[in-house]
Amino acid sequence: MSSSMSARPLAGLAQRGLGLLVAAVVLGPIAWGLATSLKTEVMAVALPPTIIPSPLTFENYLGVLAYQGFLLELWNSTLYAVGAVLVALLVGIPAGYAASRFDFPAKKLVMMVILATSMVPGVAVLVPTYYVLDAFGLLNDRFVIVVLLAARVAPQTVWFLQNFIDAVPIEIEESAALDGANRLQILTRLVLPLIKPGIAAIAVIGIVTIWNDYITVAVFAPDIGKRTLQVALVNQVFDAVGISWSYMMAFAIMASLPVMILFGLVQKWFVAGLTAGAVKG
Amino acid sequence: MATGGRRARHRPMPLLWFVPVLALLGLVTIYPAAFVVWMSFQKTNYFQLQGFVGLSNYVDVLGSDSFWSVATISLVYLAGSLVLSLAVGVAVALLFNAIGTTGGVLRVLTLFPWTLSMAVVGSIWLWMLNPSFGPVAYFLGEAGLSPGLMLGDPDLALALTILVTAWWSFPYVMVMVTATIQSIPAELYEAIAIDGGNAWHRFRYVTLPHLVPTLGSTGLNLAIIYLTLVTLLIVLTGGGPLDATTTLSLEIFRGTVQSVDIGPSAVLSVVVLAINIVLGAIYTRLTGRVTG
Repeated sequence: MSSSMSARPLAGLAQRGLGLLVAAVVLGPIAWGLATSLKTEVMAVALPPTIIPSPLTFENYLGVLAYQGFLLELWNSTLYAVGAVLVALLVGIPAGYAASRFDFPAKKLVMMVILATSMVPGVAVLVPTYYVLDAFGLLNDRFVIVVLLAARVAPQTVWFLQNFIDAVPIEIEESAALDGANRLQILTRLVLPLIKPGIAAIAVIGIVTIWNDYITVAVFAPDIGKRTLQVALVNQVFDAVGISWSYMMAFAIMASLPVMILFGLVQKWFVAGLTAGAVKG
Repeated sequence: MATGGRRARHRPMPLLWFVPVLALLGLVTIYPAAFVVWMSFQKTNYFQLQGFVGLSNYVDVLGSDSFWSVATISLVYLAGSLVLSLAVGVAVALLFNAIGTTGGVLRVLTLFPWTLSMAVVGSIWLWMLNPSFGPVAYFLGEAGLSPGLMLGDPDLALALTILVTAWWSFPYVMVMVTATIQSIPAELYEAIAIDGGNAWHRFRYVTLPHLVPTLGSTGLNLAIIYLTLVTLLIVLTGGGPLDATTTLSLEIFRGTVQSVDIGPSAVLSVVVLAINIVLGAIYTRLTGRVTG
């Protein structure tokens, strides 16, 4: 395939053109949303539609910032995403380490249980979880939301960590043990720094996953002060009476901005996290 | 790949290292999963459990026409999205892989939809497909086609929902396929070249056999996502028009937030849970995730 490029430059050129076309089609809707967000409300619904907004206006973005809920929702989104990933790493690191380094009879069973939990979809436990949280008066509790979301990323955290730690040569640990370091010191001072890229990949995937969650927060923290940007966005769609599309597109972009930036900065780690353990070399 | 703590001078007490994660998962995942099974055997009145009734909820739900129509919609949605995103994902991965550095850049750009939340994907497409002011309707109209109500058309809504789902998820397939292609040893292609093989032979005898396991595991993973996906449907159609896009999972979501009689919702939850566990078990087999 790639060798045909030099042999048949025209075919290579055609492939390039087709590639650009595919990317344009895929990114088209996002570009359209972006263009809409930079139009006035009147211009957004004008026919025929203008592709490039003129005059360019930032009134929608200013409107989003001026809307009083925005900063609180941004804070909630951040708190839930970062908090849940930290909790998942906190409980996942010892498990991932033990899974990689220790052998004991029940290990296979324990790992099966952890894996099995990743097959329990959030939607299947909505009813019982709501029932229990309601009974204990735990709805609309930020801490509860963090714990619920942490459990969603914990299984993959353990599995990825095991993979990454497997790749660390055991000899390094053995020599540290000879120097008198204990397990915990070996883990925190030696192993964790070595697998930093892996941890970054896990964190990026986890943060993106949780940042994008709608269901958990919408159902278990419906209180307007506890909701996230995603919940606020969906609620805007519901209030579709007199909806301003240009404002909504600006809101959608603002709600995605942290993820866009994160993805732009660390797309390699994002891909590493996606493919970790899923493709056999 | 357990190498063992042979010379553990401090006894590691291995199970202790798993206590935190097991406590979290036990409380948040395992206990509710067991509880929903218990609930499905209960007579319920809104969110109140009123005693064991055996299989009566199952008889009611599985005996209703609406269940089977929702199950059929779920299946069509799942299969349609899966076929489309796998086919497009493989094609685009091969295309980008064939054009070197340019392909690498395009791949990063094209992965972008996958990072967007379903709420954002839904609102972007709701606008794209808006029948009055959206660009798709406008350009279809210019081309002499009558776009109609689009997402508001019961005959079109499911197909459009599948298209949007594939748009959002094919980049994931593309990334997995690319990772696999790039891990194929070059010698295999050289061997084919020595035997006088052409591009089709290279694909048929080297690329494709290597891709099959990846497609299996990626497809299963996506199937699980599609089966349990709710947010995109809520935003795009809310399950309508005329329930044309109501899936099992959306029905569970509605049952929960509307706090209607939850016995039937519990039954649906058990159905989705069971299908998921079967898919997940096959996925585990394919990826060989449990070792040691």
